[in-house]
Amino acid sequence: MREKVLKLVVAFPDTTDAMAAEKYYQKLGMPGRLIPLPAAVSAGCGLAWCADREEKPRFEALIPQAPFAVEGIYEVLLYERR
Amino acid sequence: MEKRIDARGLACPKPVILAKKAAEECQKGDVVIVDVDNEIAAANLRKLAASIHGEYAVKQLTQKHYEIRILLSEEGGKAAGETAENLDLLSCQVPQKKETTVVVISSEKMGEGDETLGKMLMKSFLYALTQLDKLPDTILFYNGGAHLICEDSPALEDIRALESAGVEILTCGTCLNHYKIADRLAVGTATNMYAIADIQMKADKIIQP
Repeated sequence: MREKVLKLVVAFPDTTDAMAAEKYYQKLGMPGRLIPLPAAVSAGCGLAWCADREEKPRFEALIPQAPFAVEGIYEVLLYERR
Repeated sequence: MEKRIDARGLACPKPVILAKKAAEECQKGDVVIVDVDNEIAAANLRKLAASIHGEYAVKQLTQKHYEIRILLSEEGGKAAGETAENLDLLSCQVPQKKETTVVVISSEKMGEGDETLGKMLMKSFLYALTQLDKLPDTILFYNGGAHLICEDSPALEDIRALESAGVEILTCGTCLNHYKIADRLAVGTATNMYAIADIQMKADKIIQP
């Protein structure tokens, strides 16, 4: 059974930033994973980090010290297995 | 309170009319449960739920038994009363022959060029499949693609999600043996070349990223 749930999506300016973010978040043990940038965020191509929306404050807090640029933080309806 | 309607065997749009009537008699927070026997009826009830601002959930119990739950978020009578005209929008058509789509994964990478990027693109592709409204019927993994279906694969979570959503996951047994990873197959089943050829011959659409 899968259903659409609101998820947190962290978008980056380019793929290099996204790859750096994956390494950084995994090193810190942050929850989530890399996904293709949802069309609802941008018609462009790219990668984004996806996590539960409750984690938003943790990801926002990391932005100033992160060794990569963040384009924006969104909440997007995505399919999830239940 | 829960109100249950067994609408199996009833012709369209009868299940929706019964559900609407039940919703009218319910209060905010009540749940209307409707049993139907086809996908069209389930889809029509989803439209009804949306039009009365109800929360919709469906569970397929057997091939011909869908259980629909509609949680009413507004007073039933008021909200459902507005839906009369929406009933005209419901589709009662029997779907045409189902088109079968097969996805073939023959490599760990998507496209040629940078290897790291290629692996990341393939991981992204498999995730993107999980986000499609219409899922493929079957995903075939062979040659280098067989690595993606084994333990420790970065794509395992998505492949498991696809399988649990009803997608058939098949991997070439010869390839698993060749790479000595047969004991690490984590999702779906191993198959042989006759089945791989047969499934592709019968498919209406084959996608190879």
